[in-house]
Amino acid sequence: MAYLLQQLLIDSAHRYPDKVAVRARGRSLTYGELDLRSSQLARLLRERGVRRGDRVGLFFPKAVESVVAMLGVLKAGAVYVPLDPHAPARRVASIADDCGVRALITTAERLRTLPPRSTACTVLVSGAAQGAEQVPWSALETFPASAPPESAIESDLAYILYTSGSTGRPKGVMLTHRNALTFVDWCAATFRIGPDDRLSNHAPLHFDLSVFDVYNALGAGATVSLIHEEITVFPQRLAALIEEHDITVWYSVPSALVYLLLHADLAARDLDRLRLVLFAGEVFPMKYLKTLADLLPRAELYNLYGPTETNVCTYHRVDRWKLAGQERLPIGRACANTDVFALDDEGRRVGPGGTGELVVRGPSVTPGYWGDPEKSRRARLDNPLAPYPGEPLYRTGDLVTLDEHGEYLFLGRRDNQVKSRGYRIELGDIEAALYAHPAVVEAAVIAVPDDDVGSRLRAFVAVRAGETLTAGVLQTHCAGLIPRYMVPERIELRAELPKTSTGKTDRTRLTAEARVAEAA
Amino acid sequence: MLSMDRDARAAIREFVMDRLAPTTGRLDIADEDDLIDTGVIDSLGIFQLVAFLEERFGITIGDEEITPENFGSVLAIERLVASRSR
Repeated sequence: MAYLLQQLLIDSAHRYPDKVAVRARGRSLTYGELDLRSSQLARLLRERGVRRGDRVGLFFPKAVESVVAMLGVLKAGAVYVPLDPHAPARRVASIADDCGVRALITTAERLRTLPPRSTACTVLVSGAAQGAEQVPWSALETFPASAPPESAIESDLAYILYTSGSTGRPKGVMLTHRNALTFVDWCAATFRIGPDDRLSNHAPLHFDLSVFDVYNALGAGATVSLIHEEITVFPQRLAALIEEHDITVWYSVPSALVYLLLHADLAARDLDRLRLVLFAGEVFPMKYLKTLADLLPRAELYNLYGPTETNVCTYHRVDRWKLAGQERLPIGRACANTDVFALDDEGRRVGPGGTGELVVRGPSVTPGYWGDPEKSRRARLDNPLAPYPGEPLYRTGDLVTLDEHGEYLFLGRRDNQVKSRGYRIELGDIEAALYAHPAVVEAAVIAVPDDDVGSRLRAFVAVRAGETLTAGVLQTHCAGLIPRYMVPERIELRAELPKTSTGKTDRTRLTAEARVAEAA
Repeated sequence: MLSMDRDARAAIREFVMDRLAPTTGRLDIADEDDLIDTGVIDSLGIFQLVAFLEERFGITIGDEEITPENFGSVLAIERLVASRSR
């Protein structure tokens, strides 16, 4: 049994050296090639001073090299940090600084956008290397074909995924090999991923849905097709790729599936090979789910649930016969080796029908946030139901209720976290970006629910008297600080924002106004 | 015809610069610049753009025409509009 993620690759490379492991942008790598290249990369990183536990940033658009980089870093005993290739350079640089990346794997083009920083080495996936610190990808060939001796254990970190933070500073969720393997082992048993499966990878690599795609493929000796960012904009191309790559297992946020439903004419396509369609990250609007279920009569559909901090912790198999009568799709019951239950504000267990915060217990739960013991502590609490201390629970912040079938239903958030196109967004993160503009005196961001994308972001901003500012200028300003999916689509400028009787920004009123404006 | 083309290009440019580019922080986009890899057109923006083109130029754009070739740059979009306006 594997206890490190890279062992999934090594085992499959022994069994299926000539099978295709990864496809991306018209290129592919066999298991043998992936194993070889990642071992050479591990040797290179070690030679350049990367040590066990060091962080290595991955900053380039999806390519077959993405998987080489992930596995190469792990074989070096280090921790990879996937960086959003489309995020503003300042945010990427602040994340790299936050976790102190010791090496960077990027392209010459992307590297030029970043402020200079000192690293042990920079490996360039493409473009010419300059100076002794930069190493071209072609240099891998000169390194030994065997990986350095294994020293990591399962509780060592494997990767760090950064998500939106409520104060404007991204949070680095630390995940260990054991965290990831708990999930992957459950998937392998539940979904029977086999060597003949072909998995899609729609989610960005800094998003935890990718963990499913990559490691389930590697564990089974299957093929994963990394869908590059540009294709996801064009629904017809995306649908064609599912057909051409004979995808059997699809996993994405619901909004990506809704996008295909609305614009890709799925009924005209041959999608019979698609045996499993999984979705997670946000609520799937029932009207679209019914359409999807009708269009894919042979596929099994599953709703998966879980924050980055635990990966998937509950699941629900869609029952086609019940869909017509269901108002909301359950997030379901706990995955194997995972315990979930709901607690009220006093830490008491909530019974069926009651409302409480979902908490998660088990080996999939993150050890915490990088460099932030305070946030790590607040997200976890000692299990109030256990007779002995020292066994923390992760508090999801999600309010749930248990239905009569023993399945959980998601009711909403306890805080200002929202989902848009499956991205997890703290409204405070966006407000912090707005406040960073010197002319902004008040800012409130409202998420208006939307069936197609989850929610649409609207901002209300009060501008300092005497200053002139336009929505476009403010959007451009935000785009320099936060990723595109967080920049409000509409910004309304006002002399001042409405207040409640206690003097706080009246979010209820702004929400009502935003909804009216949306409907108009 | 030439002046009409220029009008079309200007209108497309204006929409791209005012409605799509601000959320990417890009201030300078030339007519031939890539709009996809740079993220100026993403999955939300593309259908806002299609709705705008249909309304502004009185044309219908089918889902099968929504391709990187037709939407890769301001020039490409202008070519698409011109081919449909005749």
